[in-house]
Amino acid sequence: MTNATPPVEEAPQVPTFSDFCEAWQKSAENWDRFQRLTTTDAKIAQTAKVPIWTLNKAKLYHYVPVVPETERKRIPLLMVFAIMNRPHVLDLRPGHSFTEYMLDLGYDLYLLDWGAPGPEDKNMTFDDYTLEYLPRVVRKVKQVSGCEEFSMLGWCLGALISTMYSALRPDDGLKNLILLTAPLDFTDKTAGGFSRWSSHPAFNADLIVENLGNVPGEMIDTGAKMLKPVENYLGNYLMLWDNIENPGAVDAWHAMSTWVREIIPMAGGVYQQLINDFYKENRLMEGTMTLRGEPVDLKRLKANILNVIAEGDHITPPCQSERVMELIGSQDKDLFRVRGGHIGIMAGRGAEKSTWPHIESWLGTRSN
Amino acid sequence: MTTPNGTFDPFDPAGMLKGMRDSNMDAWAKMMVQLVNTDAYSESTAAMLDAWLTTSGPFRKVMETSMAQVMAQINLPTRDDVVRIAERLTNIEIRLDDMEAKLDELHRPAHPGETKE
Repeated sequence: MTNATPPVEEAPQVPTFSDFCEAWQKSAENWDRFQRLTTTDAKIAQTAKVPIWTLNKAKLYHYVPVVPETERKRIPLLMVFAIMNRPHVLDLRPGHSFTEYMLDLGYDLYLLDWGAPGPEDKNMTFDDYTLEYLPRVVRKVKQVSGCEEFSMLGWCLGALISTMYSALRPDDGLKNLILLTAPLDFTDKTAGGFSRWSSHPAFNADLIVENLGNVPGEMIDTGAKMLKPVENYLGNYLMLWDNIENPGAVDAWHAMSTWVREIIPMAGGVYQQLINDFYKENRLMEGTMTLRGEPVDLKRLKANILNVIAEGDHITPPCQSERVMELIGSQDKDLFRVRGGHIGIMAGRGAEKSTWPHIESWLGTRSN
Repeated sequence: MTTPNGTFDPFDPAGMLKGMRDSNMDAWAKMMVQLVNTDAYSESTAAMLDAWLTTSGPFRKVMETSMAQVMAQINLPTRDDVVRIAERLTNIEIRLDDMEAKLDELHRPAHPGETKE
């Protein structure tokens, strides 16, 4: 016979007055921390780099190599970020930086920062970025690296510019092209909020530019946030509050928030082209896009291409990046789908375990 | 509302609120995404933007014109003057960059490995 006694359920403990005081004090401290994190900037983009070229607001940086020359990859990599944000997200914080990761693996890295356009740049268009600025940047990269070939990584509108450049200047030495969340195909006008809003007949980009010149960063930022309003205006801060006592999560949030808050305007001419020629008329895919009179024929794009698509991207839905693979002339082309959002695939927690190694392994075999 | 071992804790109002919040946030977020992806939202946003720009535009133009007149009266450059100078500076920068490219070309060895004196 066994004398098994049933487990006694612990009754919930009644908190004492001192527990309440302690909890109150902790909440007050957390609130202070919360306010500090939401109003101050974290140190981002700390990897050592040297400016080697400037034109107007654009700057080209060369990252200081960290491995001996004999261990470095022969072909340099030029990173071209979007024109409506700063490129610091590629080098968010020490220990979680794509730039740092690639430097450690021996890449000779260059970063193009387009800078913030001023009122004098309101007439700048994709023609200028693609055919005036980028060829000069490429020349400088080749001169400094001493290599006639180069690889290019374009992200978001940077990928759009890179694609057009690659199609217009196929013999300029571009060996490898990596596209990240590239908005290229606007056939489906219902895919994603941006496409739906801006392709609506009532949306008048010309009126915006006529009145405002450059499109204010706040306007673009509000548009991006309204794609997922609850997450961006509320969920983001609730997430910080929930993790306020977790230093790792707090550091990551602070760095990302610092980057997100650094908004810049978009040149008026570029905005008009983006809305009218791309979102509304889908001219790149239709084959009717011209830059400075030169037709952009995607069949002329011959570089090896890795097209990285974020499956949960609400800014550039996957369908906007997929069809380009059928139209380009490249023989060596790969499509890589990653779970995650527009920025998360490169700057999120999982990036260093999925996206970065995949990009590196693809590029590594083609960089010597 | 519940403790980590799943039992109900009536003395944790913060936990109770958090539980309620979490259970509602997803539904709310999905509803808002659906809302902003409707044609009605696109149309009303475009109409609001249009109305704002159309009504504020004339005021902005009057302000710009009068400001330009004031600046001219007190012998100071207007915004347009500064913009024109900045544009010219960019053009000069482009010329300089072209010259640098030509110099680089001249200094580049004809054959790799060879140094140009």
